[in-house]
Amino acid sequence: MTRQNTDLTDDEIEELKVFEEQLQSFVGAEAGPFLSWDRVNRAMIRHWCEAMGDANPAYYDADVAVQLGAPAGAVVAPPTMMQAWTMTGFACQHPPGSDTRESMPVLPVFDQQGYLAVVATNCEQEYLQAICEGDDVNGRSTIESVSSRKTTGLGVGYFVTQLTEFRNQRDEVVGNMRFRILKYKPHSTAS
Amino acid sequence: MSQLNYAQVTVGDQLPPLAIDISAKLITATAIASRDYQDVHHDQDAARALGSPNIFMNILTTNGFVGRYVTDWTGALGVLKKVAIKLGAPNYPGDTMEMTGEVVAKNDQDQSIELKVIGKNAIGHHVVGDVVVALP
Repeated sequence: MTRQNTDLTDDEIEELKVFEEQLQSFVGAEAGPFLSWDRVNRAMIRHWCEAMGDANPAYYDADVAVQLGAPAGAVVAPPTMMQAWTMTGFACQHPPGSDTRESMPVLPVFDQQGYLAVVATNCEQEYLQAICEGDDVNGRSTIESVSSRKTTGLGVGYFVTQLTEFRNQRDEVVGNMRFRILKYKPHSTAS
Repeated sequence: MSQLNYAQVTVGDQLPPLAIDISAKLITATAIASRDYQDVHHDQDAARALGSPNIFMNILTTNGFVGRYVTDWTGALGVLKKVAIKLGAPNYPGDTMEMTGEVVAKNDQDQSIELKVIGKNAIGHHVVGDVVVALP
């Protein structure tokens, strides 16, 4: 599915080569920690469960949560919320104490070249221990790979795969995530 | 919420199907609940400018629905160990995602079961997921 480079002039091929070498230089780049704005709390859990229609009592009843390893009086968070705790939120900023660099440092390079659109395509999460009310989650990420140039249904772009390890306030690994996005130029604007 | 035990599960068991009605409200509310403020999940014009016909569900939410679908079935003491999803056809407002699931393996050592979960909408497969959940 890779776009045939024969569509391009020699200069464009050379430019693409330099760009792709630059992309590959980000493989292995580490970033973090990225902290959470809030400790794991019932209000955010309830908002999530309400929107998702998730009525699991482990997420609101401490008597159930204790059977899943939660401290007395605490509920457990939906494991699939793991990534939500360290999200930047409305202002697109990580809390103070976080790494100040872009969490996926290759993204600005794509933006400069006009690959402005982004869509997530894969998310693989492993949960190693319960994330409970009161926990303070942080994440550290590594760029695992950047694909060759692909032509997809959405447009022309590159898949970027990032690995993130999430830890709690005791520095115990609570889970990890392999996250893949497509950074692309939509077909309507692809050059 | 009833509780499923490991011994009750057989490879090939089907999960009861679940239909999720996809509305703009759902897409926006779940995006915000997951702290994902990317404009393609709440702003139709922004979504169109990036080549999408409408706003669409974010991946954290799909992940959440896959997890919820499995623990709805296991009961509260089912412990998710892994949720690995691949996204295909986007979930746009006005569509319905039909979720189905099947037990594909059992692991006696840790009393975990492996499931294949599919979420299908009018366009095709929105999500195909592999889930591991441990049972009492």
